[in-house]
Amino acid sequence: MSRIEAKKPSLCTNDPLTKERVSFSLSVLSGIVKSCYGPTGRLKQLHNGMGGYVRTTSQSSALLGGLSITHPVLKVLTASVQNHISRFSDCGLFTAILCCSLVEKFQRINFAACTVTKISRHLLSLCTDYLKSEACGCRILVDFDSIKTLLSLVRSILASKPACMLNKTEANHLSTLVLKAFLLTIPHTVETNVVLGKCVIVPVKDKRVMDSTVFPGLLIEIPEFQLARTFPVKRVSSSTIKMALFCISLSGDLSNIGEGTVIVHHGISLEVAVLDQLLNLGKQLVNDQVGLVVCQKVIHPSLKQYLKEHRVITIDRVGVSMMEPLSQMTGSQPIAALHSVSPTCYGSLKDLRTESFVSKHFLHLIPNDTLVCSLILCNRNEMAWDELKNACQTAEHVLQLTIKQPLALLGGGCTETHLASYIRHKSFTLPTSVLKTIDCSRTQYQLVADAFCRSLECVACCLAHDDGEILTDMVYGHFWSVQSGFPSDCNWSDLVLKCGCGIYNNQQNLNWTVLRSQCIPFAPQSCSNEPSINSTDHLVLDCFTAKCSGLQVAVETANLILDLSYIVEDQN
Amino acid sequence: MASAASLDLGRLVQEAEALASAVRGALGPRGGQVLMTRPTGETLLTRDGRRVLEALNLGPPTARMMVACVSSHHSMTGDGAKTFIILLSKLLRGLQAILDKREGSPFCEAIQRRERDQKHCHSLKQISQSLMTFQTHLLDHIMAQDLRKHFLSAFSSCEGEISRDTMESILEAYFCGRIGNSHQKLLSQLSCDFYYRCIPFKNGKNEMLDLVNEYFVELHSAVTGLSVSNSRILEGLVLHRDFAVYCPADGDIRMLIVTESIDSALSASGLEFVVNAEVQYQASQVWITKRTEAIMKHLQNNNIKLLLSSVKQQEITIYYAKISGISIVECLSSEEISLLCKTTGVSPFIPSQDNIRSEIAETMIAKFCRPLVLGSKRYIHLGLTRTCAFEPHCVIFCGPVHGVTEQHASAFHGAFKMLQQLFKAVDLSDGCEAQPENPNNTSKAVHCSWQQSATQQKFIMENISCNREKVNDQQLKTSMAETEKQFIDSSSWVHENPSCNQTDLQKSSDLAMPIVELESDFMFSALIDRGSSVRELQKLPLKCKHPSEMWVKNKNEPVVNNHRICNDAMTAIENTSTSVVSKQLNAAKKYWKPGNHIVPFKYEKSYKHTVQSYTNLVIQAGSVLPVGGNFEFLLHYYLHSYAKQCQQPKITLISTVIADALLSIPKILCRTTKENSFTQVYFKATSALQTNQQLPMHQQGLESVYCKYQLVTSVLHCLTKLLTIDLIIGIKRPPQKTEVNDSEEDL
Repeated sequence: MSRIEAKKPSLCTNDPLTKERVSFSLSVLSGIVKSCYGPTGRLKQLHNGMGGYVRTTSQSSALLGGLSITHPVLKVLTASVQNHISRFSDCGLFTAILCCSLVEKFQRINFAACTVTKISRHLLSLCTDYLKSEACGCRILVDFDSIKTLLSLVRSILASKPACMLNKTEANHLSTLVLKAFLLTIPHTVETNVVLGKCVIVPVKDKRVMDSTVFPGLLIEIPEFQLARTFPVKRVSSSTIKMALFCISLSGDLSNIGEGTVIVHHGISLEVAVLDQLLNLGKQLVNDQVGLVVCQKVIHPSLKQYLKEHRVITIDRVGVSMMEPLSQMTGSQPIAALHSVSPTCYGSLKDLRTESFVSKHFLHLIPNDTLVCSLILCNRNEMAWDELKNACQTAEHVLQLTIKQPLALLGGGCTETHLASYIRHKSFTLPTSVLKTIDCSRTQYQLVADAFCRSLECVACCLAHDDGEILTDMVYGHFWSVQSGFPSDCNWSDLVLKCGCGIYNNQQNLNWTVLRSQCIPFAPQSCSNEPSINSTDHLVLDCFTAKCSGLQVAVETANLILDLSYIVEDQN
Repeated sequence: MASAASLDLGRLVQEAEALASAVRGALGPRGGQVLMTRPTGETLLTRDGRRVLEALNLGPPTARMMVACVSSHHSMTGDGAKTFIILLSKLLRGLQAILDKREGSPFCEAIQRRERDQKHCHSLKQISQSLMTFQTHLLDHIMAQDLRKHFLSAFSSCEGEISRDTMESILEAYFCGRIGNSHQKLLSQLSCDFYYRCIPFKNGKNEMLDLVNEYFVELHSAVTGLSVSNSRILEGLVLHRDFAVYCPADGDIRMLIVTESIDSALSASGLEFVVNAEVQYQASQVWITKRTEAIMKHLQNNNIKLLLSSVKQQEITIYYAKISGISIVECLSSEEISLLCKTTGVSPFIPSQDNIRSEIAETMIAKFCRPLVLGSKRYIHLGLTRTCAFEPHCVIFCGPVHGVTEQHASAFHGAFKMLQQLFKAVDLSDGCEAQPENPNNTSKAVHCSWQQSATQQKFIMENISCNREKVNDQQLKTSMAETEKQFIDSSSWVHENPSCNQTDLQKSSDLAMPIVELESDFMFSALIDRGSSVRELQKLPLKCKHPSEMWVKNKNEPVVNNHRICNDAMTAIENTSTSVVSKQLNAAKKYWKPGNHIVPFKYEKSYKHTVQSYTNLVIQAGSVLPVGGNFEFLLHYYLHSYAKQCQQPKITLISTVIADALLSIPKILCRTTKENSFTQVYFKATSALQTNQQLPMHQQGLESVYCKYQLVTSVLHCLTKLLTIDLIIGIKRPPQKTEVNDSEEDL
């Protein structure tokens, strides 16, 4: 019986942004994300009172996924950040902090929402145009001839996740591994459509981080007792093993009977008939000199036994997720027929070995053309392993994005401060015709532009969690931080060491000022012709694509939230 | 278990006003967004009045009825939900004010002795009747007589083409109301682009719009987590599936649609398969496999490269497809299949024993077919070659959250519904069959007589041609006098008995025509022929100018006063009424450019009461008006002036109520701009109308008159429905299932 219940009327709120509840929860959220940002970010421990395991993290994906958010306005904010993370993996906290601080700062200006929206959209277009133009002073070209920039990119990502608990050597080791694994997934011969391979992360949780390694090819875990019985393997030649990949069940059950009835006479066993077919198939495989049979589903024990007798190794139940890398790596096509298997479907392997890690045993499939690799990721601490795995996947994704668009942005807060000084400069020299099309006064424009720049700088300031002063230089507009406790009569150039991204040091006299102080707008100079870009090993870099999109998403979401005039909450 | 309550107007007013307050904030270009949460926890952003009203989950049955009316109106026109409820609340408020006044109200005269409640109810009933009368008879009349001269045409030439500038200003105005300032420009350009890219030739626009509206779900995809500026239009179609098998192929790709599994099973429903021996079972398995292999080989021989399937195919089929180099897409929805069939004009292929050896006819060609990654999903991008009036294209909406992409998609869909409405015309003859209550209805009667028969028209045409040479001044004077008399006669006839005035009107028409013939300042399109009785299309470009005095004397209101300057004679196309196409667009376009104040219509002439171009359309296809409350101002003004000289007190009252309620819309639109505060705008508008000038405009953008007209009629209809309710009966038990009369159970 159907249950009929009267629906509860919805709850409506007028002008939600002026309400205490919103501004309070917004400040709580922004406090959480701000304190997590950067290499020295504070860790958060998430634990659910209802059960489940405790997680220590500072990553936006884990953080926002773990929080339960009830207010609809914050739901919009977190949903857009989470969607951004699912597209780009990186720059989630950047987006969240920027969005929160834009909402807070724009609200304080207290103009009509549509004016603020129009102006901030114009500012955003200034930013994106600048970032995408050749003249952009805070981006560098990624040189694929040397791995230096790529390595810096990966290292910056791993370093920005303090919950991984890596020391410097471990971070360097893992960065190299991640980069190596990525390079293995790039095909040797490039056609028009480049399809990258896959890097499979294999968890080993009771070894040190330094024991992590990368294997070309696939590692398939097998029980220990199988290990001894399988070798030596049958080979076609010294470096070729023929392999058959099945995507149907070889367990001997009856399939596809159809919708009608099947009448079986007494004394006739269909199972025997099917098993007969399976054994015929085995015979064909043996005749075709197949050395390895892999099946997505279950293989009948009799067939396994038969194949083993003929020195054919069988692996079953590999699951659907392994099918694509397997067929990609070996060139074999998943077979779905029980008879007359076409020899063109077979693939080949270069070699087959066994590997053991602590208590786990793997069959190592080594292909001719590496497209697939396995990253053995070790960490003693289970919580840190999760964090590490996330970080490695993020790094892999960022490398994929970088190969599409070979650019990187300066990290360590330098992009934000540089962009802020660029926008400040632009907004002071804005032609009147633009103001007319936006339909606002110059004062209005400058107030909104100032809030916009301060929000950008606010993101940069979040990198420094300890007391101290944050400076910017008046030449390049980079980010410099100074430890607390400096003598008051000291010159800035004696205190600063390196800018946030690591391009500049205190050698040049760069006319430093305190970041949040009022200063004269200036056009920041570009760093692209700086010789130190390619010589410095330890640059801090950010993913270009992810950060650009994060900037756009943050501004759009902030505009969206400011434009809200009414909330209808369904109470059912 | 039932509770009954009589309809209380006060409650209706309260409900409607509560509803209106929920959407008021989102009205107009300066309105804000409404954030909604679903019971599932997801959030949705919208400025769509219908969505908001539906999300309120209201309890009162009358309020639910109002929301239902809004929904049905919105799903038809894709626009106007917010205006609907605001107008409705104002109308109810106005009616309540009338009823509260009691004495002097024409609705309360005859019922003094009755009890209070009954009296109340009765007067409501009467109001509702007069509303009905107003809607069916008066509204069309006022639209045709007064408002029509203010309409602009969206078409730039006689073929019904619409220029890109006009299209953009219409769409921009639409999106302004639906999604606000932030992305209005982007979406209006996107939809404009989509319109022009999808339309292969000019005459196919209605067919194209129908198709786009029907299959909009299949024609768009949403990607979250990206900036809105990434939204774009793709050539071809995007199928929301991944390949089951993908074999890259270059050049033209032959493809086939199948709706059933290619691999046959051992048995089918209704059939039995008897296994006599194990060998037999094995052999039949082998046979099935061989058959599948044979079919796939046959497809390969026919150079088929892609198989689009509505069902899931067996693994064995996929295996052989891979071997034969055929890509397969499976589990396509029935809508996707029917869209594919419609755009390509082929029917699904059914493999059977007979046709697996012959040539396959039902193939179509795709320019390309490749995987497409949108967000995290893998789709298929299919470039089809067109065979119908729709050049396949699809839209991809990007946005930071799902709420945004959904809002954009629904606004985009609404825009195409609105365009569909834009190209519709309103026919006056709908109202003509009924007895006109309006004493000033002569022009309608004239229309009726014009429509009477083709023979009559022919007679008139002959008459015209005869008169062309001989008419002189002397004749003019006499005929003028006669016509005048005739018109007075005819109007009195109409008043008394409309069925008898046919001959009379015929006479008057005959007499009117020579006058029409005489002077030649105005090009006017003469006749529109409707109905199947028209044997031939006669183009009749006539030059005429009517001496205005005659008409002025005739009535205090012009009988016919269309000022339209039409260069083209009308043609009757099939059975539908033809649009009068005017060359006003160029003028109108210039008008939009700021600083260039060319008045699109020659206003000095418009009140010379020129002879109406005899079209029986109240609103021609493609009629538009500038946004920002222009329609409301116009209707308000003319309703008021009508009310002043109307002799029936009930109608006068109703007209005034409606006229006042209409003003609430521009009032809200003007709320935040200081320089355009409402009183100023109102004053400017009325003084402009009094001196026969063009209305002042504050915003760019155009909106469809048809949509606005539909809105007013829908609101009046809803109001009528509400007021006719006598008693509300609340039943407290679960609704019973309607019993299905199943004849098989009876047996």
